[in-house]
Amino acid sequence: MSVDKEETHQRLKAAVHYTVSRICQKLGEDYRREFSRQVMAAITETAVRQCDIFSKDLEAFARHAKRSTVSPEDVKLVARRSTALSNYIQSKIEELNQEQSLKKKSTGKRRSRDADEDNRE
Amino acid sequence: MSKDTVSKLLASFFKEDKTRLSGDAATLMAEMLRIFVREAAVRAQKQAEAEDCDQVDIEHFEKILPQLVGATGG
Repeated sequence: MSVDKEETHQRLKAAVHYTVSRICQKLGEDYRREFSRQVMAAITETAVRQCDIFSKDLEAFARHAKRSTVSPEDVKLVARRSTALSNYIQSKIEELNQEQSLKKKSTGKRRSRDADEDNRE
Repeated sequence: MSKDTVSKLLASFFKEDKTRLSGDAATLMAEMLRIFVREAAVRAQKQAEAEDCDQVDIEHFEKILPQLVGATGG
C-alpha cells in the first residue's frame, strides 16, 4: 500500500473506531458494564476486516450480474446467511424505495402545479 | 459510521477501480456495519455478564468472535 493509501486507511479506521467506542459507551451505560479499550480496538479491527470481506463479495455479486455498480440487491445477497439480518435489510430496502417514490410524487405534483400556473398565464 | 466513511472504506477494498457503490447500497452497508458492531458489543457484553465480570474484556470478545464472523460468512 502506498503512503497515501495507508494514511486514508488509517483515517477511515479512526472513523470506524469512533463509532465503535460510541456504541460501546452507550451499551456500557445501559448495562453498567464498561468496555475495555482493548475490546473496542478489537471490535474496530474485526469490523474493518469484515468490511474487506463484504466489499469483495459485493463486487463479485455485481460482476456476476454484469454490473460495475453495487446495488441494494447485492447487499441483500451479502446478508442472506442470517434470516434476521436479511429480513432487516429487506425492510430497509422497502423503506428506501418508499422514500424515493414519495420524493418522485412530490416533485411530480410540483411539476403539474407549475404547468397549471403556466396555463393560467 | 457515516455513509461517506462506509463507501470510502468499501471502495478501498474493491479489486477493480471501475467498481462503484450506489447511494442506496451505501446506506444499507452503513446499516449492516452498524449492526455488526452492535452485535459484537452486545455478545461480548453478555459473555462478560455470564462470567460475572464488571468489565467487558478482550477474552470475552475472543469467545464470541468465531460465531459472530461465521454468521455473516467470514
